[in-house]
Amino acid sequence: MSSEIQRIEVTPRVGGGLRDVRGDTIKSQLKTDHNLEILEVRSVLGYQINHELSEVQLTKLVEDLFTDPVIEVGCFNTSIFDNKEAFSETPEAVITVGFKPGVTDNRATAALDGFTTIFPDLASKVKISTSVSYVFFGLGEVDLNWLADQLHNSLIETALIADSNDCAIGDWPEIQFPELKDIEYTPPSSIDLNVSDEELIEISEKGLLALNLEEMKAIQQNYLDKNVQARRKELGLPPDKPTDVELECLAQSWSEHCKHKIFAAKITHIDRETGENSEIDSLFKTYIMQPALDMQQEVNWLLSLFHDNSGVIEWTPEWSLCMKAETHNSPSALDPFGGAMTGIVGVNRDILGTGLGARPIANTDVFCFGPPDYDGHLPEGLFHPSRVMRGVHAGVRAGGNESGIPTVNGAIVFDERYIGKPLVYCGTVGILPRHLPDGRESHIKTPEPGNLIYMVGGRVGSDGIHGATFSSLELTDESPSSAVQIGDPITQKKMVDMLLEARDLGYIEVITDNGAGGLSSSIGEMAELTGGANLDLSKVPLKQLGLSPWEILVSESQERMTVGVDEKNKQAFEELAKLHEVEATIVGEFTNSGTFLVTYGKDVVADLPIEYLHDGCPQLNLESEWTSPIHRPIIFNEETSPKEMGNILQRLIARPNIASKEWWVRSYDHEVIGQSVIKPFGGVNHDAPGDAAVIAPIPGDTKGTVISCGIVPRYSDIDAYAMAAASVDEAVRNAVCVGVDLSRIAGLDNFCWPDPVQSKKTPDGRFKLAQLVRANRALEDVCRAYSLPCISGKDSMKNDATLDGEKISVPPTLLFSLMGNHQDVTKAISSDFKNIGDAIYLVGETKQELGASELAYMFQEESEGASGIGGNVPSIDTKRNLSAYKALTKAMHAGLVESAHDCSDGGLSVAIAESCFGIDAGAKIDVSSLLVSDDMLDSWGVLFGESLGRILVSVNPDSIEEFEKMMDGIFHEKIGTVGKNDELIIMNNESEILTASITELRESWKGTLDGGA
Amino acid sequence: MSVKVAVLTGFGINCDRETAAVFEMAGAKSERIHVNKLVNGEIDLQDYHIMAVPGGFSFGDHLGSGRLMGNRLRFGLREQVRKFVNDKKPIIGICNGFQVLVKMGLLPGDDDISFEQTASLTLNDSGHYEDRWVTLEFEKDSHCIWTKGLTRMRVPVRHGEGKFVTNNKKLLDKWNENGQLVVRYVDPNQQYPSKSDELLPYPISPNSSWRNIAGVCDPTGLVFGLMPHPEANHSTWLGATWTRENLFHGEGEGMVIFHNAVNYAKSQFSIND
Repeated sequence: MSSEIQRIEVTPRVGGGLRDVRGDTIKSQLKTDHNLEILEVRSVLGYQINHELSEVQLTKLVEDLFTDPVIEVGCFNTSIFDNKEAFSETPEAVITVGFKPGVTDNRATAALDGFTTIFPDLASKVKISTSVSYVFFGLGEVDLNWLADQLHNSLIETALIADSNDCAIGDWPEIQFPELKDIEYTPPSSIDLNVSDEELIEISEKGLLALNLEEMKAIQQNYLDKNVQARRKELGLPPDKPTDVELECLAQSWSEHCKHKIFAAKITHIDRETGENSEIDSLFKTYIMQPALDMQQEVNWLLSLFHDNSGVIEWTPEWSLCMKAETHNSPSALDPFGGAMTGIVGVNRDILGTGLGARPIANTDVFCFGPPDYDGHLPEGLFHPSRVMRGVHAGVRAGGNESGIPTVNGAIVFDERYIGKPLVYCGTVGILPRHLPDGRESHIKTPEPGNLIYMVGGRVGSDGIHGATFSSLELTDESPSSAVQIGDPITQKKMVDMLLEARDLGYIEVITDNGAGGLSSSIGEMAELTGGANLDLSKVPLKQLGLSPWEILVSESQERMTVGVDEKNKQAFEELAKLHEVEATIVGEFTNSGTFLVTYGKDVVADLPIEYLHDGCPQLNLESEWTSPIHRPIIFNEETSPKEMGNILQRLIARPNIASKEWWVRSYDHEVIGQSVIKPFGGVNHDAPGDAAVIAPIPGDTKGTVISCGIVPRYSDIDAYAMAAASVDEAVRNAVCVGVDLSRIAGLDNFCWPDPVQSKKTPDGRFKLAQLVRANRALEDVCRAYSLPCISGKDSMKNDATLDGEKISVPPTLLFSLMGNHQDVTKAISSDFKNIGDAIYLVGETKQELGASELAYMFQEESEGASGIGGNVPSIDTKRNLSAYKALTKAMHAGLVESAHDCSDGGLSVAIAESCFGIDAGAKIDVSSLLVSDDMLDSWGVLFGESLGRILVSVNPDSIEEFEKMMDGIFHEKIGTVGKNDELIIMNNESEILTASITELRESWKGTLDGGA
Repeated sequence: MSVKVAVLTGFGINCDRETAAVFEMAGAKSERIHVNKLVNGEIDLQDYHIMAVPGGFSFGDHLGSGRLMGNRLRFGLREQVRKFVNDKKPIIGICNGFQVLVKMGLLPGDDDISFEQTASLTLNDSGHYEDRWVTLEFEKDSHCIWTKGLTRMRVPVRHGEGKFVTNNKKLLDKWNENGQLVVRYVDPNQQYPSKSDELLPYPISPNSSWRNIAGVCDPTGLVFGLMPHPEANHSTWLGATWTRENLFHGEGEGMVIFHNAVNYAKSQFSIND
């Protein structure tokens, strides 16, 4: 028998055509990100098994489970570094990284599952943890502590270091088993709220409740009510004060994250320029919900708006679609990998929790980061943007790929103001049969009092306590590590498979996700449908014993759904769960008692009237005030040669905001499910950027769906109205480029704002709120004009980080996502030019609109601030744009258009270059007709301006006549032809204004974000 | 009666729906069957004519791709699978399914169906997971029932562990002589046939697989596995460059593989439907 903790170590065989790719990847990433030259990096995977096992058993485990006999060497209870077959030379340094107790360890979960296959009888007694060791040769002068910091996140992981002396004497790092200790159970307590205002605030702040004084007072008042007190006496609850369970539950339900208090606030809005002084009663109701409800009157396909986990539209008579996007910003700042992964698998659950359960079929990912090459000051406690980017990307990749959901669309935006909080938007599209086999419409939940409440999937732990309230606060040095979680896609995948089967068998009456606020929100919200619920917290399966009732109620441990099941289907539902190896536990039942009654065994620990829980939160009163910011103008060099213009284009196209993201995008699976029609990249070399995704979700059927997005936070620097208008227009334009059916498009608004509430910490709160007002007004104006209802949305309003006493706020950012119908995907159009000699047209008007353009920011950086970003920011003419989009769509469906590409970041010249990449040839362009069309327009504006409503198309010479006829009355100009050689030449009549080589442009475009590994 | 296909599901298999769909498009009846239903005997594998192990991330691939699912099948379905092959019934493993069949020792396999692992699929030399389209070339004279008549095909790869290797290089020659190295990555700009043992550059070979191997079959030619996804090219409008091509829209290039198996099963088991 060996000692209690058994250690197994595995390393790849190297030589003879075999490599340690994991080690090689670390080596090349250290080179790319830190310019560190290391001779060789190797990797070792470690497993710690917390149970006694015989040598025979360990040998079997190493041979049959932990080691691949063909490509790996493994050993147990002796160090692999002493094994000459694995390491012929002594390493210079070893850094071993393991998880801290309680952190999700997916490899360990898999290992335990594999262990169970081999030793089923032992499995229940065994615990496994994992570690990874990085082994260095030819390291040079490197501070090992610094290196260890690059290889682990101390918030969730521990690192041990063996330096060259340790290595010489064979003193190898041994990770302790991260034993999650049971905690001592704390029974519910009550909190006396009959205290001064200062003390109320203190209670809120100390408890991370994120409630303001008015809200605390509203709670205080409730417990002074005589009727309330009488009922509480009867239940055995402290009559005049809340229990900790109640206070926590209210804090979750009333959090900014769950209640969207800023969007629901009463706002006094002053516009210093127009003299407006008006009152807005809820931005959400006024500018988002009302327009959508008005549109719902006009059409029959808007099935479900605003009240479910995502909005649902009818797609075909047999199928409907839903879509939701979320942000996971704060967790991604603390642990980019875990935070982002939790984000993507979390939004997948919103889809699974829509109606009676939808199947996720496509993901979208939009990220905003600090520049990857940022070399400015980085406050203590922040990761470098390049590390945030790698981590977030890896998290979303793992979450999406392992779940079998294709990532079809996205964007990455860079700006220095995102170094404090990155924005991580994760979206998912789902599909539902219009009707279930039992005849019920699948978008309508059908709970009845008496239905059993199941918690399905993962268990509850102390991870993720206070996520919702934490995200409603700014990021500080004291942000709790418990707010960080790591997703477990496989546990979730098993649950998704099981629940979709249960749905089709008719077992599900109601279903929702356990996300922010955990059970308090999921059951609390569903209880509204029947008018009450009973929940027994002692029934909830736990990861660690001893959690107190309030912790069980609000924990946001992942991979859990709450499902209502009719008593008659109890047995069948549980058998199905067993088949899929999914945990499903009855934790309560729905009632019509009017209250959310929470017990812990026999003890009542909370009694919250449903109405009070949902409507008791007082409305905020806020003030906003708009004055236009003033910016220095852009300085243009009047004497710029055509060659130099080409160089400017080459520098512009290499900027991270425009540069190719191919390396990053290709590591997402965008084709699982076998439905990908227009892919992220197209063209002859598969490297030209697509505008929007088209998928055909039903195998063999040519009916499709378009998914696109728009995001231009830069414009907020001049006017958030222009920013929001441009975001919506970009999403629509992208969708038009691939041939969307404009009569059935639906949108999602995801606002990420810096704190817009005036306070000492935020002296410019009124201005930031005015930006929000303007953005909402743009959203309404443009969505109404385009008949584009917002069916779902979300806001994240505290995207500020205060670290080292330094406050960094994100620029006001709106992501607009679009989902639309495509009548026949075989008519879809891609962005790449198709044939040499095809005519190139620009549809839509070009104005002198360079304010806050990508070019302006480039000149600002290159001139170290001498050149400004001021000027006209792109304005919107929705009527003009819509007629152009409609006419172009008709021409596309008639087969008259060879390619279509959106003109956005970097303007017309960038769009032309990108379409050229797709045919691997140049183009000859003459922009004189555009310059003539507007007196104010100059070469800078025509080449790099970002006017909205413009699409670059190409047309076969034989189709020109018919195309012209169809575009009659629409602003469009023939501006050139697709060339045969590598040159891009842009002329104004007889004079050249820009020349460039497509090959060189492509190299620059691809070089910036090439991943480096 | 029609040809019945058992498409495995569960534990992170992801491509079960489209894999079931392509067999239906090829005229068979597919059922998505949870692995546990076969292991616990609720469903008898012998009631089916074809078995498919689809792509995905079974158990997250955390202990090496396909390893845990391979063990579940090796320990739980050993005799059922052996009988299936002995009954001359075809099996396909795609991507993660291929990794499963290799890790459980069914591919490249041996005459005794001994379930001894002789090859592996390891991390791509590129160091990362990747979704990109490749061109495949098929062994002309292979006895593999799945690849009959095939020359070339364009399909996506979507994997991080697709480099086919073995610890016994002599076996490579043996498999080659047996016609088991049925499908390889090729440079689409080279004339057919251009199959070569010389390692092709990235990304023509997306993973630096030895001898550019993309897929192999067993000695009987009934069991076939490959890293790329033929089921993802079931319709012309799913191709990587279809918008550049003059097409008559319909079935995609990948469908031949599934038709081959369904036709084989029809004739082998005298099914007329």
